[in-house]
Amino acid sequence: MNFQVRPILTALRQHKAGTLLIALQIALTLAIVCNALFIIHQRLGNLSASSGVDEANVFVITNMWADMGQSTSQVDAQVRADLIALRQLPAVRDATPASGYPLRGGGWDNFVTMTPEQVKPTTDAAVYTGDEHFIDTLGLNLVAGRNFRPDEVMVMGTQEAVTPPTVIVSKVLADRLFPDGDALGKSFYAMGATPTTIVGIVDPLHRQGVDSWSNGYAGQALIWPLRADDSRGVFYIVRARPGQLADAMREAPKALYAQNRLRIIDSKDGIQDYATIRHKVYDRDRGMAILMGIISVVLLAITAAGIVGLTSFWVGQRRKQIGVRRALGARQRDILAYFLTENFLISVSGTVLGIVLGFAFNLWTVTRFAMDRMSLAYVGAGVLVLVLLGQAATLAPALRASRVSPVEATRSV
Amino acid sequence: MLKMTHLSKVYRTEVVETYALRDFNIDVKEGEFVAVTGPSGSGKTTFLTIAGLLETFTGGEYHLDGVEVSNLNDNARSKIRNEKIGFIFQAFNLIPDLNVFDNIEVPLRYRGMKSAERKQRIMDSLERVGLASRAKHYPAELSGGQQQRVAIARALAGSPRLLLADEPTGNLDTQMARGVMELLEEIHRDGATIVMVTHDPELAARAQRNVHIIDGQVVDLAEEPRFHAVKAGNRE
Repeated sequence: MNFQVRPILTALRQHKAGTLLIALQIALTLAIVCNALFIIHQRLGNLSASSGVDEANVFVITNMWADMGQSTSQVDAQVRADLIALRQLPAVRDATPASGYPLRGGGWDNFVTMTPEQVKPTTDAAVYTGDEHFIDTLGLNLVAGRNFRPDEVMVMGTQEAVTPPTVIVSKVLADRLFPDGDALGKSFYAMGATPTTIVGIVDPLHRQGVDSWSNGYAGQALIWPLRADDSRGVFYIVRARPGQLADAMREAPKALYAQNRLRIIDSKDGIQDYATIRHKVYDRDRGMAILMGIISVVLLAITAAGIVGLTSFWVGQRRKQIGVRRALGARQRDILAYFLTENFLISVSGTVLGIVLGFAFNLWTVTRFAMDRMSLAYVGAGVLVLVLLGQAATLAPALRASRVSPVEATRSV
Repeated sequence: MLKMTHLSKVYRTEVVETYALRDFNIDVKEGEFVAVTGPSGSGKTTFLTIAGLLETFTGGEYHLDGVEVSNLNDNARSKIRNEKIGFIFQAFNLIPDLNVFDNIEVPLRYRGMKSAERKQRIMDSLERVGLASRAKHYPAELSGGQQQRVAIARALAGSPRLLLADEPTGNLDTQMARGVMELLEEIHRDGATIVMVTHDPELAARAQRNVHIIDGQVVDLAEEPRFHAVKAGNRE
């Protein structure tokens, strides 16, 4: 094939408006599509992010107390009785009370400091509470240190602030606070002036939230040995024996109601397995990925249509010129190559501008919405998609051009 | 150089067959300057397009430079057009988006010629037509006569064996037409074979030989006294 880059560039200079419009369209499409690809990939990555929980066997009961005027000791007695009842069920392996759970969608988190006087926090951590059964119930992987002892579990009433002296942290938080890898036995401050000492490290442990705030502190969580006996209600996290999730989910509320009927467990979403929890929490991510996908496809389709339209127009406008080229010795594939090269050159100029716009757009989302910086790979993928799309869109009109007969050169305009 | 024997060209529609050329015979020797004349619709242009391999014919034989061309595929025909034939069109047919230099370069690029040789040939052919100083001009910046000279330079740059000219002065005023005609005569004197289609008996008279076409067939003027075209050979 005969690639005539210089004469094509010369000819394109005579068609500035059309060339500029398509190049701009390609640039804008690239800027948006590479950012959209980045967001889609991020959101899809979120969907499959590990929570650290044995999701196949764990479910959560949202238990609201019908009598909200109970004292902390009354609530605590009821919670302990409930836990005994749950743990006695044949289908249940373990259970723990909790103030929240991974992928809940939001919940308690505290700033962390290394000294009590520190004004600017070192970082932020999601806060989970539970008893000595928390680690086993969630199926968390304890990679260093030990579990809580029963005597370390404290009670925290409604609107109280209790800082237990011991804490188990996620490995991400441990590494963030103590980068030298010697977090075990070290202390930090996460509530008030009382230090809390790391006795164990789990990995991984997802935060409750999946929003941009939470993603900024991804994987940073701590577990305190606390029964948070809130007079309004409590979460019971329950781990079924393998293969007995359905039985456990069916029997658990019965066992709780048998204990005490003065509670509300919503029949619709009072008991949720982790598949449901994960599906719900990532609903926005999934929706965003789909929306970005649709926007990308529509933009690419519009760009392709623009290229097809302009190339078809140019082919129609240049029939005589194509005939002359054929008369002067151009083969069909030379004409095909001419239009494909022409589009390639426009696409390349468009993508160069698109790369700049794409990074500028990403920079804006980074500063405005605290999003991550886009890697070069997404821009590369976007460039590849746009260039291939341009070539595909040009192919049909270019083939039509290649079939123009050389006798066209002798026809009067 | 160019020999057509019992050649025919038929345009078919669903209801009618139209013979553009019928039992057409012509033999142009190497180095000849032949003028093809005839009334409108006689088949002159059809003859030229077939001679230039711009379109195919329906029947008969056509030998160009010793090669029977009827069975050649599109690529082979393109190669012959590029290497052996130079075209000069009535409407000049320069590419408006390209300057003079780039216009002349078009057929040379399709031949895959190296840049240095292309440049040399372009400048040589522009010198020959007296437009070396206009290499960077665009067609729209030139007069009709100059545009036709550029078209001739483009045709000459590839050193073709056969020059086909379709009414080369048809779009020019008398003075410009005279200049172009003198250029063609000069090219012929240098040894080129030229076949020129024209309406103009005066131009035809300046060719070495005249071929007259009526109703798609070559007519012997000696037997058709009502036609007053003059054989160039007789003139000399």
